[in-house]
Amino acid sequence: MKIPHPDDFTSRLRSPAVAARVGLWLGICFGTCFLTGLVSHWAQTPSPVVPFPTGPAWGYRLTQGLHVVTGCAAVPLLLVKLWSVYPLLFERVDLRAGRRLVGVGLERASIAVLVATAIFQLATGLANAAQWYPWREFSFRTTHYAIAWVAIGALLVHVAVKLPRIRAALGADVDSDALDRPAARSAGVLSRRTLLRSTWVAAGVAVLATAGGTVPWLRRVSVLAVRSGEGPGGVPINKSAASADVLDTATDPAWALQVVVDGEVRSRLRLADLRAMDQHEVDLPIACVEGWSAEGRWSGVRVADVLAAASAPADRDVVVRSLQPSGPYRATILPAGFAADARTLLALDLAGEPLSVDHGFPCRVIAPNRPGVLQTKWLASLEVTT
Amino acid sequence: MSPVRLTVGALGVALGVYGAVLALTRQDPVQLVEVAVWLGAGVALHDGVIAGVAIVLAVLARRVLPRPWLAPATLALVVWGSVSVMAIPVLGRFGARPDNATLLDRPYLVSWSLLTLATVAAVGVAGAVRARRTGG
Repeated sequence: MKIPHPDDFTSRLRSPAVAARVGLWLGICFGTCFLTGLVSHWAQTPSPVVPFPTGPAWGYRLTQGLHVVTGCAAVPLLLVKLWSVYPLLFERVDLRAGRRLVGVGLERASIAVLVATAIFQLATGLANAAQWYPWREFSFRTTHYAIAWVAIGALLVHVAVKLPRIRAALGADVDSDALDRPAARSAGVLSRRTLLRSTWVAAGVAVLATAGGTVPWLRRVSVLAVRSGEGPGGVPINKSAASADVLDTATDPAWALQVVVDGEVRSRLRLADLRAMDQHEVDLPIACVEGWSAEGRWSGVRVADVLAAASAPADRDVVVRSLQPSGPYRATILPAGFAADARTLLALDLAGEPLSVDHGFPCRVIAPNRPGVLQTKWLASLEVTT
Repeated sequence: MSPVRLTVGALGVALGVYGAVLALTRQDPVQLVEVAVWLGAGVALHDGVIAGVAIVLAVLARRVLPRPWLAPATLALVVWGSVSVMAIPVLGRFGARPDNATLLDRPYLVSWSLLTLATVAAVGVAGAVRARRTGG
């Protein structure tokens, strides 16, 4: 089989006019994914230099929902974008070009990096949202984060290289052939406008089919969302008690929450002790890093009240330990600002019922504007160091 | 090159290098090899398989489909094809767990089949309407 030549691709649709228009929206989606991803990493940094804000309560729900929704929309955009520029893959390099060869080589390399990282980010992100880990060795979180920087860097290099062509293509009529390859002359079965419209429709369908995971009124149409949004108390479950290996310890009648200050156990609170304290009710979402979210009505005791009762200082980060014997979220840090917030509870009830064991019985953390994985379940202790 | 392009390009190189350093320093060699394989496999899968399938489908469609149905079929392929690719993780339910009934809890295959049927029906109707209009 002979290697194709760019001139073998004769459709007028494979054009800078289409590539620039789809590329613009693809760039917007990738930029949104990148920035919302940074927000998520900031929210998950144990003790960030600049504290993560405790409000608005729906902030993390919005940014993480946007992250996953724009990632889904990027799939059709990326496929059409790559289709529109596919002939350029086969452009021959003139090896006698001398110094120009270096520039051409670097540009080709930057495109290779951009395409590889773009596909990688979408593929690993979609798999992670469905809790599917077909890779064996690498850590999703570390890799998705590192490669995101490479992808956005390659995207900026690509924009810098192509800027005059992008401006020319976007400034001209969509049907202008001024920038086309000379061989791209055959009409094709669609007009460029129709191809672009079908691309927008595809991106729109991708959004509608998944956004219900975080937008309640879209639940019925989001037939491809990773969750229906149902679950005990109207809130889905990320990690079950069985998979966290806490079924026995969480339901042990002798369970008590330890409040530790400077390594000294100041109080041991049984479930009855917690119920005897002032109870408060908050409406807060569980917003998962995987893009789904659901609002719950939680009630329980304020973290600040529990700490004050143990004479713990109120302006320190709190180490929250779970009964989980292993896993990266066994111990999390509740930053001082969150611990002091009146909406931050040790939740005992959800939707008027005691927490189900999968939701973190006997008690869990619920705080505003916080990633779901840090709303630690099956609490064992709160620890403060002065 | 204009100063704007130089600045954007330099910023891009800086961010990319930062990401590469993150990737190289936070993982051990076995993990890095796997990341490299995945990066390469994604490109190979697109450039070798998906792009090839698109070309074959275009050739087949021109041979098999009457002219009025070509445009609707192409439009439908863009929408149905890309949404189907996006849906692979949920269609396969690869991440489903017996201990968590709230994860991947929709009838994905049924929905996708209905979407497919609706797409085929829409192409059929749109083509028929076009055929009647053009008298073909």
